[in-house]
Amino acid sequence: MPLKTVASIDIKRLEILDVDGHVDQSLMPTLSDKLLLEMYRLMFQIRAFDERAILLQRSGRLGTYPMITGQEATQCIPPLALKPSDWVVPTYRGSGVYFARGMQMRYGLLYWAGDDRGTHFPDGNNDMIFSIPVGTHLTQVAGLAWGQKLKGKGGVALTYCGDGTSSKGDLHEALTFAGQFKLPAIYIIENNGWAISVPRKRQAASQTLAQKAWGYGVHGLQVDGNDALAVYAATIEAVARARSGGGPTLLECETYRMGHHTTADDATRYRSDKEIEAWKKKDPIERMKKFLTARKIWDAKKERELTTKTRSWIDGEVKAYEEFPAPNPLNMFADNYAAAPWNLIEQRAELEEVLKFKGGAKVLTELPPTEGRFP
Amino acid sequence: MKTAAKPTATRTLNLVQAVNEALDLALAADKRVMLLGEDIGRNGGVFRATEGLWKKYGGERVVDTPLAEIGIMGSAIGLAIAGFRPVAEIQFDGFMPSVFDQVVCHLGRIRSRSRGKMSVPLVLRAPHGGLIHAPEHHSESPEAYFCHTPGITVIIASTPRDAKGLLLAAIESPDPVVFFEPKLLYRSAKGEVPVGHYTVEIGKARVVKEGKDITMLTWGAMTVTCEKAAERLEKEDGADVEILDLRTLSPLDLDAILASVGKTGRCVIAHEAPNSGSWAAELSALIAERGLLRLLAPVARVGGWDIRMPLFRLEQYYIPDADRVVMAARKTLSF
Repeated sequence: MPLKTVASIDIKRLEILDVDGHVDQSLMPTLSDKLLLEMYRLMFQIRAFDERAILLQRSGRLGTYPMITGQEATQCIPPLALKPSDWVVPTYRGSGVYFARGMQMRYGLLYWAGDDRGTHFPDGNNDMIFSIPVGTHLTQVAGLAWGQKLKGKGGVALTYCGDGTSSKGDLHEALTFAGQFKLPAIYIIENNGWAISVPRKRQAASQTLAQKAWGYGVHGLQVDGNDALAVYAATIEAVARARSGGGPTLLECETYRMGHHTTADDATRYRSDKEIEAWKKKDPIERMKKFLTARKIWDAKKERELTTKTRSWIDGEVKAYEEFPAPNPLNMFADNYAAAPWNLIEQRAELEEVLKFKGGAKVLTELPPTEGRFP
Repeated sequence: MKTAAKPTATRTLNLVQAVNEALDLALAADKRVMLLGEDIGRNGGVFRATEGLWKKYGGERVVDTPLAEIGIMGSAIGLAIAGFRPVAEIQFDGFMPSVFDQVVCHLGRIRSRSRGKMSVPLVLRAPHGGLIHAPEHHSESPEAYFCHTPGITVIIASTPRDAKGLLLAAIESPDPVVFFEPKLLYRSAKGEVPVGHYTVEIGKARVVKEGKDITMLTWGAMTVTCEKAAERLEKEDGADVEILDLRTLSPLDLDAILASVGKTGRCVIAHEAPNSGSWAAELSALIAERGLLRLLAPVARVGGWDIRMPLFRLEQYYIPDADRVVMAARKTLSF
């Protein structure tokens, strides 16, 4: 008996906007100038925010911060294809995603300053806090998407993981569920080339990460993740499929982590300047600027105005962040259970005794007001 | 029986350098030893515990793995059964829960399930504890989960000398060892470390200081906190404090614990994890079962609260400090 081909896969890559700002008209979706300018604004502003966050960390005003520079298109664009009621779960490297979802970035700073009050998302949004043990959210997102399907209102769930995380079993199980139950889920592998010091080629030996989709009956596509237009086109297609009951999609967005893994890392120990230089030429923001300029909806004057506006926006967010009163230590006992059990009630009282031991009897009256629900 | 001459030459190392030296010696001495983990090769580990070893021994023995903890743990078990001596690193304590299936269902059971034909002589290394202003899930103290699992030895060193000698003993152990390294002490704990190969016996506590009024049982970075508390208690209360750094959490050094508590009659157990269901609870139960009539006061446990570790702005109110140890000791002393 001759061997028969029982299945074959065809892995496509979507690129619309090239590094010189030219677009492939045959692939270009119809997009309003307003939306194009919004894409640019988000990417421009979050990069400036990222740069400020690094400076804050370097001057001791912020804790360890995971920078997103280089990944603005992959982060800021997909949320534009979603409604507030759609679920979004970024990774810890997610400033751009949260910003595009309308988060006040003072809270992002607060979180990375080690303050639990930083997990604050806009009211009405279905945003979730990222998971620091990477990938553990992926199966949960299958559940979030499942919920959307059961509610029957056309809602979707979109999430991210890195190229490193794509090696974890979590993605396997998440895609198994998403495919099996035909869930309205969009999984974006944000392939930025590096998992701390480990390069993409050290993860799966497969040619692409997009092709993992075929193992689970999930639609798959590789996308130029530094091309905002391609990221948008791929996301709206995936979202439309999900909303109409067509099932899940896995998008591998190929981008590049221009910075260190976090401010606690030193990437010069393990990667070459040459590689970074090559990726600089593919910068997502520069490309978009060239495109908008050629389309005559952007110019140097508008750029100057946006720069000024961005600076005062960031100044305002940093000021608001730094003006948060120190947290009351007793806050940590709030919101651990719907109703606190006896041991927490006892231990909170014990912490009050500890605080008095440290600072004298009147210390409790001098603390900032407590926040959260207790008991 | 002849005992080998003890190495006498020493030099000053910090704890992470001591770990590095133990790994270096083990790789040099035994071709079966190999290291697996995320970022441990070219980058030398996020805490630099494996600095220089990838260059010295090559990527086949110091392996930068894909980002997959279950893959690391499961393949280390397989390699160990196949005759190698893998030393696997989990980058942070908060990433350990993902290896639990392998640890709980397999790691400690293979010797008995194979009726003694197989063994899993691997070491699972991980940083431990908080107070370094790290992000969420980077400051955990998960030792009780591992101590609760039969068939596994659990070690935590608090001095450079112990870190090197215990890690070498762990690598040479015929059974699986979970080896915690207090990250607060990686660079802050410095001390004289013997040059060359030596081991510190697994299962033996270290008497940090002798005393007759009260016993402090502790491990990891909390050992240093207890030393500070003891100093204050001696100065301010005239109390003579004995401190035991347990070093091996499973199996416990029961003789040393009962001897000390039997002598002082008062005991404070200090650690970083939430108290309920903690290893301090096991210690307290052992003392109650076997030393009750020698006690002059109830055993006190000073631990984290029964809530998740908060983000780092409040971590100093979560992990016990010297104040909390002093408060507990005074209550015990005045009972």
